[in-house]
Amino acid sequence: MSYDASARQERGTVAAHASDRTFWGRLASWAPYRALVQVATASPRRQFVILAVFPILWVLTQHLGPMLQMLRVSLTDAYPVAANVEQHFTFDNYVRFFGDSIFWMPFFRTLIFAAAFTFCTLVLTYPVAYFLARHVSPKNRMLLLLLLLIPFWVGEIVRTYAIMILLGNTGAVNMVLRWFGLIDRPIPFMYTSFSMGVGIVYLTALYMLLPLYSALEKLPKSLNEAAADLGAGAWTRFRRVTLPLTLEGISSGCTLVFLISTGFYATPVLLGGPSTTVFAETIAGFFHVAGDEWPTGAAFAVIMFLAALAITAGFQRLMSALRKGDTK
Amino acid sequence: MTRHNRILLSCFYWGFVAYVFVPLILMVTMGFKDSKFIGFPIKSWTLDWYASVFADSETISAFGYSVAIAVLSTLISVVVGTWIAVLLEGRKFWGRAAIFGMTVLPALIPGIISAIAFRIYARYLGIEPGMGAIVWSHAVHNVPFVVLVVMARLSTLPKSQIEAARDLGADPLIAFLRITFPYLVPAIMGASIFCLLLSFDDFVRSFFLGGYEPTLPVLIFAKLKSGMSPEINAIATVALILTAVIGVWAERFTRRMNKDS
Repeated sequence: MSYDASARQERGTVAAHASDRTFWGRLASWAPYRALVQVATASPRRQFVILAVFPILWVLTQHLGPMLQMLRVSLTDAYPVAANVEQHFTFDNYVRFFGDSIFWMPFFRTLIFAAAFTFCTLVLTYPVAYFLARHVSPKNRMLLLLLLLIPFWVGEIVRTYAIMILLGNTGAVNMVLRWFGLIDRPIPFMYTSFSMGVGIVYLTALYMLLPLYSALEKLPKSLNEAAADLGAGAWTRFRRVTLPLTLEGISSGCTLVFLISTGFYATPVLLGGPSTTVFAETIAGFFHVAGDEWPTGAAFAVIMFLAALAITAGFQRLMSALRKGDTK
Repeated sequence: MTRHNRILLSCFYWGFVAYVFVPLILMVTMGFKDSKFIGFPIKSWTLDWYASVFADSETISAFGYSVAIAVLSTLISVVVGTWIAVLLEGRKFWGRAAIFGMTVLPALIPGIISAIAFRIYARYLGIEPGMGAIVWSHAVHNVPFVVLVVMARLSTLPKSQIEAARDLGADPLIAFLRITFPYLVPAIMGASIFCLLLSFDDFVRSFFLGGYEPTLPVLIFAKLKSGMSPEINAIATVALILTAVIGVWAERFTRRMNKDS
């Protein structure tokens, strides 16, 4: 012990000598720097304050600020304020939402679509994640997962365009169907909720796949074997063991995908039609036409955000109730 | 039974691979079609669309604009994100949970709402729509990803190394710069590449905060609204190859760095 301590001290002195010639050594012995450090680290409290001030200011002004400002604007009758107009506090922008079906129809459509697309994503990616986590050797697992990640590095617009080419009237799907003589004239896939669904599931699948995969990977194989030894069939094992123990992954994947799905703007514009207008397009309308109506747009964005939050919070409570029910 | 399951599941997997790859392959193929009309079958092939893309100054400048925005916003995100991560990881203080919640907030807000909020706030701060506004919104949006990646790495830093450095006389700043920071480099590199790609691919924020000059995704969107053309395929293919190559390289790079340390 004492040998260790003395050796460390010795090394310390050697290092100190050597460090005089390095950049760090010179910095550490430079008088203004030393004075600065001494002032800054005079007490743990001061040290903490110096570390904390910038991040706290940043998250308050940059992360929370935009949301609060949006809320504030949504409660006014005029924004941006013109020179000779007075700004008043009002709830009119919120009242307006309930007054016209042209507003609340897209709103409910968005929520229903987002929920349906989330469910489709879950059903589609669960077997994929299950296959990767349970049936592939760990050596190949990363390779097969990486293969799936490649397309997800490609941007939203490019992938949306790829779906347009796949589903168009002269697109690949119609060509193949016609080739096999299954149809005489092209099926109009595009500009429907179907094409929108294919596009949105395509864009969000990864955010479902990764939480599911990590939940399934953590699951010990022995649990399934034990259930099998006790006579449970494949379906029972899945329903009573695998599914309940991956609820956490399902819950976080669904929350993420739902929130992302409600926020798409370009994909519904490009893949959807007049009958599938989503709320994002309604909101955007208030910011793009000549007579900007920012307060109304802001109010609608607030409504949408609160609704999305409420639904995901309710969903998470449901899932955690399910989880607790299963462990009892 | 298990054997059947296995075959069925592997069919599912390869079906999913087809779902994510086939549209992109078709899109790339269409960029070589020798006709103005998008659609199958393709009878003759050409490279003309690529030639016209590289000759088109609008596309080239949109490309440069997007890259510049990605680099600048990533620099800001990385500095701020690392700072927040160092504050939050392994420290207990009053209000920590609230700060963490606010930190991840921008990543959870649906795209359109975040774009609108940034648009309104940019007006409030007096930032004109344009490059500055886009860089700022991308930077704020990407901070949470940096924080999460850096915090994960920081939680595995052996505390004894910092203590040793302090015992040998290093002040907290030098201990950070010479021990903590080098240890964080792989995480910071991984997070930067992720931010670069997020920013380069972002449409909704660039669309609402941009001025007259379009970023690459905004340009593709504008062209798409006025009609499909193989020229768009060529532009999209160039963007696709760039992002996919960087993404794969980043994946391998971070894996190697994690293995080394």
